[in-house]
Amino acid sequence: MRRDAGHPVSERLTMDPATLARIGNLELVARWVVEGFVSGLHRSPHLGFSTDFAEHRPYVPGDDIRHVDWRVFARTERTYLKTYEADTNTNFTVLLDVSASMGYGHGGIAKLAYAKLVAATLSWFSRRQRDRVGLVTFADDLREIIPPSARHLPNVLHALERATAGGGGALARPLARIAQSQPRRGIFVLISDLYEPAADVQRALAPLTGAGHDVIVIHVLDAAERAFPFQDAATFRDLESGERLPVSPGKVRERYVAAMEAHLGAMRAKLGGGRVDYSLVETSQPLDRVLFDVLLRREFLRTAV
Amino acid sequence: MPLLAPLFLLGLAAIAVPLLVHLVQREKRDPVAFPSLMFLERTKAPFTARRHLRDPWLFLLRALAVAALVLAFARPVFGRRETAGAADERRREVVVLLDRSFSMRINRRWDRARASVDSVIQSLSPRDRMTLVAFDRRAAAVTAATGDRAVLRAALSSLAPTDESTRLASAIAVAQQRLASSDAPRKVLVVVSDLQRTGWDLSDESHMQAGTDIAVLDVSGDAAIADRAVRSVAIQRDQRPGPAQVIVSARVANVGPAVRAVTARLEVAGRMVEERTVDLPRDGGAMVTFPALPMPPNAVAARVVLASDPLPGDDAFHFVLQRAPVLPVLVIETRASPFLSRALAIGDAPRFEITGRSPARAGAADLAGRRLVVLADGAFPTGIGTARLLRFVTDGGGLFVALGDETSPRAWPAAARALIPGRITVATDRIDGTGAVLGELDQQHPALAQLSGPFGGDLAAARFFKYRAIDTTAGVLARFDDGSVALTEHAVGRGRVLTFGSSLDGVWNDLPRQAAFLPLMQQLARYAAGWRDAPRALGIGASVRPSDLADAQASLSERWIAIAPSGARTTVGGSGTPAALELTEAGVYELRPGGSPGARPLLVAANIAPSELELASFDALRLTSALTTSASAADTGGVRAEEETLVDREARQSTWWYLLIAATLLLVAESVLARRAVTLAPAPE
Repeated sequence: MRRDAGHPVSERLTMDPATLARIGNLELVARWVVEGFVSGLHRSPHLGFSTDFAEHRPYVPGDDIRHVDWRVFARTERTYLKTYEADTNTNFTVLLDVSASMGYGHGGIAKLAYAKLVAATLSWFSRRQRDRVGLVTFADDLREIIPPSARHLPNVLHALERATAGGGGALARPLARIAQSQPRRGIFVLISDLYEPAADVQRALAPLTGAGHDVIVIHVLDAAERAFPFQDAATFRDLESGERLPVSPGKVRERYVAAMEAHLGAMRAKLGGGRVDYSLVETSQPLDRVLFDVLLRREFLRTAV
Repeated sequence: MPLLAPLFLLGLAAIAVPLLVHLVQREKRDPVAFPSLMFLERTKAPFTARRHLRDPWLFLLRALAVAALVLAFARPVFGRRETAGAADERRREVVVLLDRSFSMRINRRWDRARASVDSVIQSLSPRDRMTLVAFDRRAAAVTAATGDRAVLRAALSSLAPTDESTRLASAIAVAQQRLASSDAPRKVLVVVSDLQRTGWDLSDESHMQAGTDIAVLDVSGDAAIADRAVRSVAIQRDQRPGPAQVIVSARVANVGPAVRAVTARLEVAGRMVEERTVDLPRDGGAMVTFPALPMPPNAVAARVVLASDPLPGDDAFHFVLQRAPVLPVLVIETRASPFLSRALAIGDAPRFEITGRSPARAGAADLAGRRLVVLADGAFPTGIGTARLLRFVTDGGGLFVALGDETSPRAWPAAARALIPGRITVATDRIDGTGAVLGELDQQHPALAQLSGPFGGDLAAARFFKYRAIDTTAGVLARFDDGSVALTEHAVGRGRVLTFGSSLDGVWNDLPRQAAFLPLMQQLARYAAGWRDAPRALGIGASVRPSDLADAQASLSERWIAIAPSGARTTVGGSGTPAALELTEAGVYELRPGGSPGARPLLVAANIAPSELELASFDALRLTSALTTSASAADTGGVRAEEETLVDREARQSTWWYLLIAATLLLVAESVLARRAVTLAPAPE
């Protein structure tokens, strides 16, 4: 049932990322996406980050009866409410990859711009859940760190607006440093294009998962990176290393697509098995659908565990 | 399809521009940025596609648009569509007179002339016929009447300017003849010339046939002419004692702005002997005098050369440097008189070599090598003998008889009467009065023409106190004031006899004391001897006989081989060949006697005719009006190709409008296609 939930929302809200990116105000966009998204969730009571059960407490008039634990009531005929730790304060940190490859966009919105929208939207959503939100931008090393805080949402949004793509990309070093600096358990959302072997990504995430953090990996790709639609023979330049390679697309397209799909399959296999929630999104996908899918998968993951 | 502006066709090269841009852009295209080359493989030959056009239709449209634009600017003209009958009525007989005289070498006159003739050839319709007549001093048709453009163009390309002078009248006569013999309904005369003033007598009105279209194309151009020329050379004997030397002076003319330090060289036998510089004023001249140089023993070719200018043909003046010729004279006189001998001894053109004898001592051997025999007092030289003297004259020798006291008709043998022009009367004595004077003098006669010149003296001042009248009516050159004949001429065989009715010793008259005596004696001696001055230089167009050059050698051969400056050989003299050599090239001709290979050649120098160096021109309208009768049509701007209305002409030339529209449509299509291609094609970031 959870897998099917939410689709009416996505059908109703088809927010073109390119259109949203042109608005320029991340706060406005994030609020608009989240409010529109939340307004369609009234039939989906099981969505939410806050899943850590804390204790039962007696019902008092005024409490939301949706939080009554009906199983306890069935056994004891007493009304108790379930309380969750996350309902109070959960650290929600977005790990945003701002390496040069994230600046790529073929005919539409760049990956980094799309990632900013996703990060802003998730941060706004988390803040609405009364979580503490933080942001870390990194390329091959840490760029900017905004510690999780209940008052840091404006800082996060402002830092997102400032973030620009540049430099090489490597997950291991920045993620290890983040794991060291974040002793308190929380939720980390890694938004990256993951141009590393899946095993390396898995190893890079190990410090976070090993410290008990929940990790959501949002793998952002441009459609061109999957389909490789180029026609003319040309020299291709690596955005991060600057390396150049003469390529005839017609000749290499098939092998490229196969290699990319194998890479994505390895990502799903490697990352989908642990305390990591892996989602692959393309920059052409509507934001609310991405938000829904991420939350849906998150919930599925939580319940599966 | 003729084009009005064919040079614009060069713009077709612009078709290559889109192709070059395509190739260059592809080679220099920025590399495609891509997030990671992690999954990409190097392609071994990824750029072979660059050799191919990405969008051939786009390139085709661009090429067609460029071609249409270029053709539109080239202004194509389509031929007229007409019926056979109408075309026959418009059939034309075209005669083109192309000036190829020396003056056409100036600046780019010849190129313009050829272009003009070529445009006339281009304007011929299929039924037209054209005759190309090239003229300088003479005119000759270089093609028969034909409509074959290839033949006409080939004939045109074979022509080149000559060194000859211009004579337009001869060309017009040829044109009149050609057009008169044609039955074409329309006749056209085209004159392509620089209209040199000296080439046409402005008072000449040679009307063309009525109805003839006349076009005079002046190709002299507007560019200023700057030309320096050696107009003449004077040679003087250096009178100082010592070896024979001559002083050469050249007259240099300048047309155009003043020029300083122009170098003039004197070359003898191909070697430079002297060099001088001279400043030439604007449109003026100067004399250049070279130092005296030894007279060569034999005739040699020489020239005075200026530093080269845009018209090099007249920068050199050729002449022959040779010693003064000798005219051997046998003077037979009863009483030795110094007057005649001294009068002849002064001359140097020719130099008279005088041998004096008395009538009794003169013998047959004295005639050897003589050109002239002078019988100073009319006494017959019995020592020579009648037959020998008669043969001497008959073979071309000269005899000058001056009647005096010793002259007695009875003393002359009957066989020698042929040497006397007529009956000689007894002496008329006019000593009692003021004497007789010459009352009538034929100064047009070559024997006396020199006396009419500024240094000829006044023969009328001479007083004749005694004379013998000659009773004849033929060959009278002068008469005394009483009407009796004073001087006669008559021919005997190839020789010539002059008879003067008074003495030359100053007894019967005071003629030897007159200034006119010296030139009169020299001239009469030259004339009687049949002497002709060997010219040092002649103008191109002159004809010269070998006998005019050196009488002594003229007898060597009847046939002569003439070698022109260009090396061309012609035969002169004898049967079946021209009697005289016509000079057509500037330079020195050699005349070698046929059959005498060891003989020294005679030299003849030829130079551009002075008239051809007068560069003033006349207006084309004057020639047009002179040639045009009231029924003729004149056109000085070009050839009127055919009668057609402005609408017809515009319609034939309106193709460029359609080409322009086509180019516009092609460009619009190209723009749409290009925009579409850009939209569809995946573009890099």
